Amino acid sequence: MVPGQLPYWKTRQRYLEGSLKPSEHLEEIFENIEKWEPVINAYISLRDKEELRKASKQADKAYMQGTARPLEGAFLAVKDNIMTIELPTTAGSLMLKGFMPGYEATVVKKLKNAGAIIIGKTNLDEYAMGSTTEYSAYGPTRNPLDPNRVPGGSSGGSGAVLAYGGADLALGSDTGGSVRLPAAYTGTIGLKPTYGTVSRYGLIPYANSLEQISPMARDLIDTALLFEYMAGKDPFDATSVDYDYTGLSERIREGLDPSTLRICLPQELFEHTDPVILKTLDRLYGKLESQGATVEEIKIPVLRHVLPAYYTIAFAEAASNLARYDGSLYPCRNQDAKSWEDNVIGARTSCFGREVKRRILMGVYVLSEGYRDAYYVAASKIRRLVKEAMLSATRHCVISSPASPVFPPRLSETLDDPLKMYALDRMTVTANLAGIPALVHPLAYTEQGLPIPVQWMAHPFGEELLFRVALLAEKLIQNS
Amino acid sequence: MPDRGRKDLDPMIGLEIHVQLTNSPTKLFCQCKAEYRQYPPNTNICPVCLGMPGALPVVQLVPLIYAVAASYALGCKPNPMIIFTRKHYYYPDLPKNYQITEFEGAHGAPVCKDGVFRYLDPNTWEWKSVRIRRINLEEDPGRSTYDKGGITRSPFVHVDYNRSGVPLLEIVTEPDLRSPREARALVEYLLLTLEYMGVMNPRLEGAFRVDSNISVGGGERVEVKNIGSTLDVEKAIRYEILRQSKIIETGGVVTRETRHWDGVKGITVPLRHKEEEEEYLYFPDPDLPPVPITPRIKRQAAELLRLTPADVYRKITGYGVKREIAWSITLVPALAKLYLRTVSLAKDKILAAKLVGVDLKGELKEKGIEHPSENLLPKPETIARLVNMVIDKELPYDTVKGIVIPRILDNPNSTLDQVIPKKASISEDLLIKILKENRRAVCDYLQGKKKALNYLVGVVIRTLGKVAVDPRELRNIIEKTILDNKEYFCENNSVTKP
Repeated sequence: MVPGQLPYWKTRQRYLEGSLKPSEHLEEIFENIEKWEPVINAYISLRDKEELRKASKQADKAYMQGTARPLEGAFLAVKDNIMTIELPTTAGSLMLKGFMPGYEATVVKKLKNAGAIIIGKTNLDEYAMGSTTEYSAYGPTRNPLDPNRVPGGSSGGSGAVLAYGGADLALGSDTGGSVRLPAAYTGTIGLKPTYGTVSRYGLIPYANSLEQISPMARDLIDTALLFEYMAGKDPFDATSVDYDYTGLSERIREGLDPSTLRICLPQELFEHTDPVILKTLDRLYGKLESQGATVEEIKIPVLRHVLPAYYTIAFAEAASNLARYDGSLYPCRNQDAKSWEDNVIGARTSCFGREVKRRILMGVYVLSEGYRDAYYVAASKIRRLVKEAMLSATRHCVISSPASPVFPPRLSETLDDPLKMYALDRMTVTANLAGIPALVHPLAYTEQGLPIPVQWMAHPFGEELLFRVALLAEKLIQNS
Repeated sequence: MPDRGRKDLDPMIGLEIHVQLTNSPTKLFCQCKAEYRQYPPNTNICPVCLGMPGALPVVQLVPLIYAVAASYALGCKPNPMIIFTRKHYYYPDLPKNYQITEFEGAHGAPVCKDGVFRYLDPNTWEWKSVRIRRINLEEDPGRSTYDKGGITRSPFVHVDYNRSGVPLLEIVTEPDLRSPREARALVEYLLLTLEYMGVMNPRLEGAFRVDSNISVGGGERVEVKNIGSTLDVEKAIRYEILRQSKIIETGGVVTRETRHWDGVKGITVPLRHKEEEEEYLYFPDPDLPPVPITPRIKRQAAELLRLTPADVYRKITGYGVKREIAWSITLVPALAKLYLRTVSLAKDKILAAKLVGVDLKGELKEKGIEHPSENLLPKPETIARLVNMVIDKELPYDTVKGIVIPRILDNPNSTLDQVIPKKASISEDLLIKILKENRRAVCDYLQGKKKALNYLVGVVIRTLGKVAVDPRELRNIIEKTILDNKEYFCENNSVTKP
C-alpha cells in the first residue's frame, strides 16, 4: 500500500460517513499532481480544474442527498488510448495529437454512469507498443517509487498516477501485460480480464485479439469494484461476451478456505527470474501449503514459445490496425505533400515513433505472401496450443508465477535493445494468448522500496477466484 | 460442365460481379443507411464506417440474410459460418486502408462455394449453366471524385464516405462463359434474380460493377476491371477478345495482366502486370468472430426466393404464351406480378400476356417508365375484365390497346367505366356540318380514296373533344352518313361506289 493514499472503497466509506467530501478529496489529488507530475510525467492531459471542482460538487450533493452511485466521487485516470469526449485521445502518438473524434469508449460511458469522474488521460508507450512507457511522443513516465526507473508499460502512466495518488482508480489496457507490468513495477494492482468480458469499443487498437481494457487500482477490493462496473456485453463489440460479475467486490471479501486451493507453478514461467523475487514467492507458497493448500510444480513446455508467438501475432495485427493513419482523417498530415502518396509517406514517416515503425515493418513481414505460413500461421498454431494447455491446466488449479523476471529497469536501460524489452513480458503474454484472466499485485517490498509482485491466472471468468486467492496471499504474507 | 464442343481458340470468360445490396436498411457493419445516394456528401457516416480507431464492426442481420438468400438463388450451399478477413491496400476512399472480406487463403470462409447457376440466354432461348466459384460478402469503399481534369490532372481528390461500408456481394464464376453475349445474358439474368428477391435495385447508379477474366486460345488470362453496365460487359469482353486474338494471330503471346475498361473510348488499357500484383496481407479479422448461419437466418433467406425469374418465365410459357412475350413480362417484376394475378381471373391467358407484356409495357416505355412501381399499374381485375370484354366481343382489341390502356396509365385511379369509350353519339346535323366543312375529303373518299375516311374520323374526334368514342363505330357512322347523302356533298362529281 502506498503511504497516505486510501483505496477508493475506504474513501467512499468516509464520503458516506460525511468525514470527507469528494470536493475535498479532489484538492488532495490536485496537491499530489502538482507535487509529482513535474518529475513523473504520468498525465498527457488533465481536465480543467474548475470543471472538475464543479463535477466534485455534484458528487458532494449526491452523498448529502443519499443518491450517490457506486463510484460517485471516484476520480478516474484513463489511459490515453481509450476514447473520451472530455479530453483528446492521442495514443501517445504525434499522429493523434489533439485528436477528439467525439465518441467515447463503452467502458468510459459505463463508469461515468456509475459516478466516476474522469480526471485526466495517462501516458503510455505509443499505441501501447512498449513495456516501459518510454516510447511516448509526450516523453517518458518515471516510476514514483524510484524516479530513475521505468514504471513498466504500456499503461505506465496509469500505474504511476495511482502510485503517487494522482487518481483513485485507473483504466489501462493489457495486450501482453500492459497493466500487469506497470502494476508489478509501481506496487499497484492490475487485472487482465477474461477476453471479451470488457468491451473494446473505443480502445485504439494495437492487437485486437489479445487486448482488453483493464482495471488498475491501489488495492484488490478497488480493482474488483472497478472491474465489476466495466464488464458486460456490448452490442458494439462483436467479441464481447455476457458474464454477470454483479456483487464481485462484495463476494471476494468472504475469503477462501486454503485447503480447497490447488496452485500450479509452471516451471517455464519461473526461468531466468531474479532470485529475490523467487525467494519471496517461495515464502508465499510455503505459507499457503502450511495452510492446507496444494502447491505443485508443473511443466507446460509450449510456454517456452509464448514470446515469439505473442509478438508475431501482435505485430501482424498492429501493422493492419495502423494502416488507417495515412494523413487524411487524422491530425498528422504532410502539409507540403505534392500527391496523395507523398502525404501518406510524409505523415507516417514524421508522426510514427521508432518502435511503432519497427512493429509495423515486422507485422507486414510476417503477413507477406510466402512468409505468412512460416510466421503468422505458425504463431497462431502455437497460440492454439498455449490456449489448450492453459484451459486444461486452469480447470484444476490456479496458476501462479512471477509477474516479471526482473525489477523495474532503469530509464533507457532497454531502449537500445528491443529484445531485452520484449523479454519483460515473458510471464504475462500467456494470459493474453489464452484469453484467460490474470491478476498481478504486490506481496512485499525490497529494502530499496521496490515491489515484489506475484501473478495469478485462472480459467475463463475465474476473476472471483483470482481475487479471493490474492486476498488470501496478501493476508498470509503480511502476517509473516 | 458439359463440353459444348469447345474449339481451342474459343475464349474462356469468367466474371467477378460486385453487387450492392441496395435494399438493405443498414450498411454491413453499422447502422448507417445502405441507400446512400440521396444524402449530401459525408452525412451518412459514423465512427464505424469511417474506420475510426476503436470503433468496431458488428455484422448486421439483414445483409447476412440477403447474402445467404443469394447463395441459395445461385445454387450454392452456404458455409456453416462466415469468417471475415482483412484485405489491405492503400486507397484514398478506403478509410481503414483495409477492406473486410473473406479470403479462404487466409482461413476466411466466404458465404458459399461451388454453386451452379442456371440462366436463360435470350439470344438462343437456351437455359445455360455457369459454375459459381464463391460468393463473398464485403464492404464497399467510399467514393472518390476529382476536380476538372479528372484523375490525372485534378489537384485534389474529394472523398465521400457515404458509400463506405455498404454491403457488397462479390460473385465469382468459373471461366465457363464462351461469348460476350453469353456473359451479358448471365449478368442480366443474375441481376434480375436479385431484383426478384428484393435485395437490390440494379438500375441505381453504381449498384453493380463487373470485372472479367478473359483468355483466348488457351493463353494467359487477362483481367478487365471497372465494367459498369451490362452493355459494357458485352463491349469490353468483345474488345478484349479481339485484342488478344490479334496478338495471337500475329505470333505474339498474351501476358497475364490487369486492364482497365475505358467505357468512353471503348477500349481496355493496361493497369498492372502480374509481377506487380499487390500484396494484400490477408489475415482473419480479429474484431469479428466467425458468424454462424443459423436456422433462423436460413429460413428468412429462403423466404426471399418465393418468386424467381425462372418460375415466372416457365409459368407464363406454360400457358402457351410465346417465349418473347413471356420473357418481356419476366424482365419487369412488377408486370410479372400483375400478370400472374391477372391470369386466374382472365378468360384468355395468352391475350392477357399480350396486353401486359406488349401493350401495357409498350405504353409505359412510351412514357419513359420502364420499371413502374405497382401503384402506377392497373389492377389485375382491370386487365382481366378488359381481356374478358375482348373475348366476349364487347370491346374491340384495338380500342383496349389504343385507348383504354393509355388512359388507365394517365390516371391509374380511374374506373374502367371512365376510360372505356362510350358508343359514339353525334347528332346528324353536327356530323353533316363537319362533313360539309371537309367536303374535299368526302369527295376524295367517294372517288375511292379510302384513306380520306381516316382523316374524317380524326376530324370528328377532334371536334368532339374529350368525349369517349369508339373509332370503329364512328367510322361506320360517318361512312353511312356520307353514302346516304353523297349527292349533297359532291354534286358536281361523278361518283364511283367505294
